Amino acid sequence: MWTFLGSECMFFGSLIATFLVYRNQSTTGPFPDEIIDVPITTVSTFVLLMSSLAMVLALNAVQRNQANLGRFWILMTALLGTIFLGFQAFEFNEFFNEGLTPRVNLFGTTFFVLTGFHGAHVTVGVIWLLVMAGVITPKGLSAWTLLGAVLGAYAILVGILGLLDVIRNLSDVGAVIFIAAGAVVMVAAGLKHFSIPTKLNVASQAGNLEVTALYWHFVDIVWIVIFTVVYLVSANDSIETSEAIISGLHGGG
Amino acid sequence: MAEEAVISKFPNPFPRPKTNRGWISWVMTVDHKRIGTMYGITAFVFFLVGGIEALIMRLQLARADSDLVSPEVFNQLFTMHGTTMIFLVVMPIGAAFFNWMIPLMIGARDVAFPRLNAFSYWLFLSGGLFINLSFAFNAAPNAGWFGYANLTEVPYSLGDNTTFWLIGLQLLGVASLAAAFNFIITIINLRAPGMSFMKMPVFIWMSLIVQILLVLAFPVITVALIELQFDRLYGTNFFNPVAGGEPVFWQHMFWLFGHPEVYILILPAMGIVSEVLPTFSRKPLYGYPFVVMAGASIAFMGFFVWSHHMFTVGLGPAANAAFALSTMAIAIPTGVKIFNWIGTVWGGQVRLQTPMLFSLAFVALFIVGGLSGIAHASPPTDAQQQDTYFIVAHFHYVLFGGSMFGLFAGVYYWWPKFTGKRLGETLGKWHFWLMFIGMNITFFPMHWVGLDGMPRRIFTYPADSGWETINSWSTIGAFIIALSILLFIVNYFRTWRREPTYEADPWDGRTLEWSIPSPVPVYNFKEIPTVEYLDDWWAQKYPESVNAEPRERSPGQPAPAGAEDMLPLNGQDVSSYGASSYGDDEDHGIHLPDKSYYPLIAAVGFAFFGGSLMSAWWLTLIAGFIMMFGIMGWIFEPVNDPPPEEENPGGHPEGYSAEAGH
Amino acid sequence: MQILRSSSALKRFALLLTLLAPAILAACAPGGDQSTFDSAGPIAKDQENIFIFIFWLAVVVFVVVEAALIYSIFRFRQTRPDAEMPTQTHGNFKLEIAWTIAPVFVLVAIAVPTVTLIFDHEKGPVDGRVPENPLEINAVAHQWWFEFEYPGQDVITANELHIPIDRAVRVSLDSDDVIHSFWVPKLAGKVDMIPGDDNVMFIQADRVGTFIGQCAEFCGEAHANMRFRVVSHEPDDYEDWLDSMRRAPAPIVDNPLAEAGRTLFAQNCSTCHSTRTYEPLRAQGEREVQLGRQTLFRKAVKRDEEGIKTREGDLVTLISAPNLTHLAARQTFAAGIIELTEENLKKWIRDPDDIKQGNRMKDLAPIYNDPALWLSDEEVDQLAAYLMTLKPGPEEAVETAGTVEVDPIAQGREVFLNNGCSACHSTGADRVVGPGLSGLADKSSTDMIRESITDPGAVVTDGFPDGVMPGNFGSVISDNDLNALIQYLETLK
Repeated sequence: MWTFLGSECMFFGSLIATFLVYRNQSTTGPFPDEIIDVPITTVSTFVLLMSSLAMVLALNAVQRNQANLGRFWILMTALLGTIFLGFQAFEFNEFFNEGLTPRVNLFGTTFFVLTGFHGAHVTVGVIWLLVMAGVITPKGLSAWTLLGAVLGAYAILVGILGLLDVIRNLSDVGAVIFIAAGAVVMVAAGLKHFSIPTKLNVASQAGNLEVTALYWHFVDIVWIVIFTVVYLVSANDSIETSEAIISGLHGGG
Repeated sequence: MAEEAVISKFPNPFPRPKTNRGWISWVMTVDHKRIGTMYGITAFVFFLVGGIEALIMRLQLARADSDLVSPEVFNQLFTMHGTTMIFLVVMPIGAAFFNWMIPLMIGARDVAFPRLNAFSYWLFLSGGLFINLSFAFNAAPNAGWFGYANLTEVPYSLGDNTTFWLIGLQLLGVASLAAAFNFIITIINLRAPGMSFMKMPVFIWMSLIVQILLVLAFPVITVALIELQFDRLYGTNFFNPVAGGEPVFWQHMFWLFGHPEVYILILPAMGIVSEVLPTFSRKPLYGYPFVVMAGASIAFMGFFVWSHHMFTVGLGPAANAAFALSTMAIAIPTGVKIFNWIGTVWGGQVRLQTPMLFSLAFVALFIVGGLSGIAHASPPTDAQQQDTYFIVAHFHYVLFGGSMFGLFAGVYYWWPKFTGKRLGETLGKWHFWLMFIGMNITFFPMHWVGLDGMPRRIFTYPADSGWETINSWSTIGAFIIALSILLFIVNYFRTWRREPTYEADPWDGRTLEWSIPSPVPVYNFKEIPTVEYLDDWWAQKYPESVNAEPRERSPGQPAPAGAEDMLPLNGQDVSSYGASSYGDDEDHGIHLPDKSYYPLIAAVGFAFFGGSLMSAWWLTLIAGFIMMFGIMGWIFEPVNDPPPEEENPGGHPEGYSAEAGH
Repeated sequence: MQILRSSSALKRFALLLTLLAPAILAACAPGGDQSTFDSAGPIAKDQENIFIFIFWLAVVVFVVVEAALIYSIFRFRQTRPDAEMPTQTHGNFKLEIAWTIAPVFVLVAIAVPTVTLIFDHEKGPVDGRVPENPLEINAVAHQWWFEFEYPGQDVITANELHIPIDRAVRVSLDSDDVIHSFWVPKLAGKVDMIPGDDNVMFIQADRVGTFIGQCAEFCGEAHANMRFRVVSHEPDDYEDWLDSMRRAPAPIVDNPLAEAGRTLFAQNCSTCHSTRTYEPLRAQGEREVQLGRQTLFRKAVKRDEEGIKTREGDLVTLISAPNLTHLAARQTFAAGIIELTEENLKKWIRDPDDIKQGNRMKDLAPIYNDPALWLSDEEVDQLAAYLMTLKPGPEEAVETAGTVEVDPIAQGREVFLNNGCSACHSTGADRVVGPGLSGLADKSSTDMIRESITDPGAVVTDGFPDGVMPGNFGSVISDNDLNALIQYLETLK
């Protein structure tokens, strides 16, 4: 797992480097100062940090063989992660409405790809957490439950991509149907699965959960770096700073 | 595994097949030896493909103003030749050796994550086929193996050529990364008791270093490929100069990966040579700790020299000077290695058998490549040599004279271990000498023609340039190499027909793999050996020569000839593919990981998913389902059924750990 | 023994080749026109010298190390299978340290001159001194040709750079499309030409001659055929050449072939090829025009529903193309790959792909892609004859176009042809790139016509893309000519 995280460090390192290299090099707007909303993102960052806390509590509970408590904190972590994703979706949508897309300028390109990949990692983490939550139930994780959950999530994803016009051929109505169907399947799977509280020996899963937790904390830490670089450092980049940098680049040879 | 089984019964549509025969046993194998064999064969086929591409190019360039192929075809040929030889030949042949030899040399029964290993192979195969599939669409990649932006951006590269390249490389990258996690964990966790890091064979050290390089370098290229792919498919602006993007940034990303990649290609060969030279000189490797540290420092410094590929980009004098110095510094550990190899031979009892010949040639040719490398480590000379045939000559001395000779040394060296019989010695020597001579006739004149001003990647040149004679020589040399490879194939088939000799230790080897029968039983070591010395097997055989305590030979040693468990159950059926076809697992009572279809399904789904990004969205949807089906099946399929009764010394993973590498 | 049998034959073969190899190589010693040896300028000379220094160092290292290797192989060969086991030496710490440090001395010997030269060449071509009066050149690369601008001199050429000897030339390198590389081996090592980056390099020639340059960074299909020449002159000859570049060609007299070619050229070629940058204003506007063409080429890429990219629409016919001003005065054409003769020009016009595969002209120009516009042999002859008249006229000649004629309508027609209007605009009603111009007077007022010429973006006719028409006509066409042009346009029915 540590080697995997080392690899991921290089991955995000490269993406962040891209962002920094291209900082203030957009030739057209919108520029960060017109668009970035630090307070809202601070809230979402706080949510993500709290999820790390929840993760610690979850691992602690499982290590002490408290199944229900452990499951509660795992689900809480996943929930906080989902809320963070919700913030991100909201933010992306806002930005689209204000005219910032990946195509319009370099800021858009680097911003969406960097935060988008982070969001994808959070999504993977949430799914992983749900799997782990499922694993520490009496009968273990039923394959059918997981299948339902994954299919549901997949349908929702397709629907969202359809709404965002990433999948061009999918109409909005079709997309909404995808989302609704996916949600129904997921909720059904969840209700079926998590309805049976019980006492259970789960400490044996602590090792696996620890790996999950490592991943989750890593994704969190990456976000802190991204938040610093994108939101705190670059938030005041404007058309003037960009022009200064660009002319400096070309004037200085 | 805990009592409350965490995995419930999954309606498994692909129950594990039990057979050990036929193609199906190969398709779902998780045995590291079989996977290694498949890597080797696949890579060799790609080697022939890449070689044919090279021959066509050499034919085209043999004459001035030639019109054998169009410039477009030529561009596709050199791009695919480079991509194929690097990603589909040298790296996977290296992977074949890692697969085969890492467990054998560290005294393990398999790699840490056998199914992940199978996944790596299938994904590598899919990626390789995917890139080559582009020929069928007449859209083979055509922008060079380093795909410089912004030539690879949409306005200047309209077709799907570059998209094939981008997606193919990403698939290969994931395959390599998965394999790298696997090998690192194998080497760190599964070494035989007593084998401390400084008692590991040098090949294992080099493998470990290569895997670490892979883990750190591949994410960088993955990000670059993703960015370029987003530019091409979704209209982002990463490398679009009109929007402020910088094509040079691609070069930084590419070479930040690309230079470590060079060491990924050469270090396995260096590891092999460091095994072969001592064996055939009957002496230990000279200065083992220095060789190991040299390898590690080459790898480390490899991350700080990337801009020497970019001396003509105009980075400014300070950057050029800094990278020139760091590049020259890397010559020091390289020199240490060469001196130590010579020191190994010095004072030994040199036996010039084929593996030794290839290894000595490796050293001799690598010196040439290293010295020409010093020439263009100096930016003022590099300004003249960059992007000329001088560079082509240099890196073929390193990658062909170096990597390929080293890998062939490994093929001849370990062939008896793979198959129970040596490759023919006479043909082997013909193969070696023809390849050695052909190699020098092909590539040495390229130094000249490069200094004479011939740029690389040109499909033709005018008659009055004065380059024709030298180019004709290169072409002749290329065909001599082709002939030598043909002899290797002949040798392969002639050896196939011969009866195995089952020599466990044909070369009087030094490391653990020679302590077990040839071909290797499916369980490798009947009992996991205990290691006390560097070159432990040698210390067991000749304790007095190294002042070792004489001891009982390790239980894995070959039994006397004719002993029951040394011969395969069905002697005739020993597959010359190299893998052992021993009887069923039950016969030896050693538990081994069970076979599985799911790595294959996940890998094919993954490749299909990547490929479908170029196409309609609903294909992506289908591919996503296949991929997820594969991964889910993988998770829910128990590693072994029935679950192991006793503790497994191999420490085989549970589903989730394997998942982590994905 | 098997081993012995095989190795004797092999040894003889190997020996033969080893003996032959130096002879073969000596016969091919570098010395061609593009060779990096026999340099013709101080920078290339420095680079040659440091290479030769490194080469001899490398030879010494090579001989010593390979000799040690070969000696140890033969000296320590196993002679008997039962030979005594060699001592199992594991290494020698002092020796290891020694051969770790030894290479450092060699490397320092290389590093010192290397670093010195890096910083010297940044300042100027000779001994690291900043040159007093360098000649400034802007070199711009295109797929697949080179454009050379003499800033402040109002001179632009393509694929042929003229410089005076013994004077530093400071070349600013840029590219309008992808990355190329500027390389004249006899004068200096290469420096890349990168879109959006401003690279600078020095070259200097110390003898009169013609030196071949070639693009050294892979840049697409016709990369192999992207060459240029650098012609060095005595300073006086250079000034003469520069003056000649600013003179108009002699008027075409008694040459009906060339006269017809001129009309053909105006209709079919002048959208992309400039021929009149000997006029100062056009020379100053030329960069902008070329950039505009490149922008349109880029914009012409369309994605259809499936995301498949094609070039489409009328924009396809626009691409930056070599400046043909005073073409006939050059030694070669088609990016320096073929000698300039009338016969070669005809061959080229008939089928450019035959000479330079992948060129954009064959790919995009309507005369090769629209059967209705295919050129007849006669038209090819006419075009070639016209192109051969594109060379500096005699010194006393004055600008003739548009001034000999007194009739404003006829003068306007000249302006119409000379400025390439006819390449995009039919005088009938049909659409070419821009709208047909017949009946213009009925639709637009004189002022509107004037505005459309001087500021094409102000009003764009429905159905036509914006930004296609060059925006600098207002500055390159004199008021007198502009009035004549408008009067001519108003006569179109």
